[in-house]
Amino acid sequence: MLEIKNLSKNYGNIKAVDNLSFKVNSGKIFGLLGPNGAGKSTTIKTIINVIKPNDGEILFDGNPINNQFLNRVGYLPEERGLYKKSKVIDVISYLASLKGLHSNEIISKANSWLAKLGVTDLRNRKIEELSKGNQQKIQFICAVIHNPDLLILDEPFSGFDPINQQEIKNFILDFLDNGKSIILSTHQMDTAEKLCSDILLLNNGKSVLQGSLQEIKQKFGGNHIRVNIDGDQSILNSFSEVISYEIYSNLIDIHLTDNISPSDFLKKLIEYVSINHFSIIEPTLEKIFIDTIKNEKTK
Amino acid sequence: MNKTLLVAKWEFIEKVKSKAFVISLFLTPLLIILFSVAPTLLMQSEESETTVIGILDFTKEYYEQLSSDLESHKLKNNTPAYLVRNLFSDELKKDSLIIKSDILVLDKKIDGYLILEKSSSDSLITNYRSKSVGNFKLISILENSINNIYLKQTLASRNIDVSVLNLFNNKININSVKIKQAGEEGESEFLTTFFSSMIFILFLMMMIIYSGQMLVRSLLEEKSNRLIEILVSSCSANELLLGKILGLSFLGLAQILVWVLIGVAAVGSALVSYSSFENLPIILFYFLLGYLFYTSLFVGIGSIVSTEQEAQQITSYLSIILVLPIIFLLSAMQNPESTIVNVLTYVPFTLPSIMIMKSNLMEIPLLEHLIAITIMFISTAIIVFLSGKIFRIGILSYGKMPTLKELKSWLKE
Repeated sequence: MLEIKNLSKNYGNIKAVDNLSFKVNSGKIFGLLGPNGAGKSTTIKTIINVIKPNDGEILFDGNPINNQFLNRVGYLPEERGLYKKSKVIDVISYLASLKGLHSNEIISKANSWLAKLGVTDLRNRKIEELSKGNQQKIQFICAVIHNPDLLILDEPFSGFDPINQQEIKNFILDFLDNGKSIILSTHQMDTAEKLCSDILLLNNGKSVLQGSLQEIKQKFGGNHIRVNIDGDQSILNSFSEVISYEIYSNLIDIHLTDNISPSDFLKKLIEYVSINHFSIIEPTLEKIFIDTIKNEKTK
Repeated sequence: MNKTLLVAKWEFIEKVKSKAFVISLFLTPLLIILFSVAPTLLMQSEESETTVIGILDFTKEYYEQLSSDLESHKLKNNTPAYLVRNLFSDELKKDSLIIKSDILVLDKKIDGYLILEKSSSDSLITNYRSKSVGNFKLISILENSINNIYLKQTLASRNIDVSVLNLFNNKININSVKIKQAGEEGESEFLTTFFSSMIFILFLMMMIIYSGQMLVRSLLEEKSNRLIEILVSSCSANELLLGKILGLSFLGLAQILVWVLIGVAAVGSALVSYSSFENLPIILFYFLLGYLFYTSLFVGIGSIVSTEQEAQQITSYLSIILVLPIIFLLSAMQNPESTIVNVLTYVPFTLPSIMIMKSNLMEIPLLEHLIAITIMFISTAIIVFLSGKIFRIGILSYGKMPTLKELKSWLKE
């Protein structure tokens, strides 16, 4: 289990991370979310010992992190790239050996991962000869080959086609089954919603929303409905019970105040327009994300 | 295995495998040998064709003697080196004679021609007219010959025995001998010493510049594709830094080894005299110390760049600092114990070059060696320490290069 206590990092006068605390439980995917420049990367870099924090503690299984800890972490950075002029197997071997893996283990593990991802035939090719997707696969192998206890993935799905995304998703879930911890940083809210059980939403280096996805949704839950109506959509503006609404091609998601029940609202609405579809929905993580960040800005 | 060694091994093997390295390995000595030996060889080699020159002697006093002097020069195959044509004729005026002769040159009938005339004050005026003015060998032959004739005529006109001239031609040269120990002479000739010192110093510089560039480039690659983050999340920045320095040092050693082999082959083929290699162990030792010093410097400074242009800028600045000592080399060779040389002997930037040169010129006392080596070790350690400070932050900062003020704050962290 990874525990971050009161982490702070300043760049000059800018507080990139401001007194941040959270826990990453084993067997769970922890979603580190936030708009660009919120401090996600800085947080990750302090965990993997790339940046020294100004203040705070990072504990793994109760112990402060040290060089031994580095061997138990796997990291997939957002911006990808490997030694272009070198052979696939050489690059994997080098990075794996730096993670403390013995040379006799490396070859067999590398071979089995190459086979799992269906790129065995690329083993002796140079990195620069590979397609972007295949380079990403090699990089993924480099992040996981030493079977890390903590896996940190920064936008792991970018650059992959849907089939490969699915494949990578399955490998990530396999890791969870073995009781590992995963930190996932992403802008794809639908992916985060499907994979993460705990969420931390960062803005300007501060935590603005934190907890299990379940709790957050309940807290935000309130009154969300989805309708499909015939008639003038702007009628929604005239209801004081409507906090906000979003129009999709033929559906409208509406956020209602807590003092009206969905069925009462339906009764009111039907007097003005005809309704083809009506359902009660949970707020999406995307909606929660956008609303929270907007709220922060207006504050 | 220790992570420092893993980094070193990777840096070494990947760079040894690169095409650029293999090319430089053989190209560098080839170029240096070419540049140092070729001009001398070219100068010495005789022209293979007979040159036709004309003489336009308005004085009518020099032609006979001059043409026989010139025609006495032979080519290797014993044919005369110069054929002389008399361009003078009483029928034409001076101006038209010159025009006629110019046409001969332009039509390539003759290579060029010499005009001899007397000025109003009775002194001799000579001009050599040809399409190019670079033929200094011919000019010097002509000058010698004319001066000789002039002297002989002057002496004769004053009734002095012409054999006096021989006295002037007997020049006395001084042999310079290097004392190794009392009563024991070291073989040494200025040119050999100069060239063998120069060759080693040039080798050192080319190697440092070349591997420095390679280092900065590879750092840049690691920075720009964020590999550096993976590396630093696997081992400490210091392990990475030391690994890189170590790997490059092995690379340097491998290069030296190949070059020594080439050198041995060159000695075998008698291209270079053995005496150039007499001080080899000492020279190689300083070579390595210098290499280590500069490599550590390159790692630290190289870590702050984040674009190709900046990399080029930085490496060219460093290269200039590196090449600077060459300015002092010639004066140092002439007087290896002057104050400036003594000062430069203790400055780590110039120490290796100066010591390499000095050890070829003179016997260096053991104490001086010990002081020099201590200076190199201490300054390299300081550079490694400072580079480490800059490296740790430099490799993770992108965007613009840090200002001196920022660098200072990095050093304080």
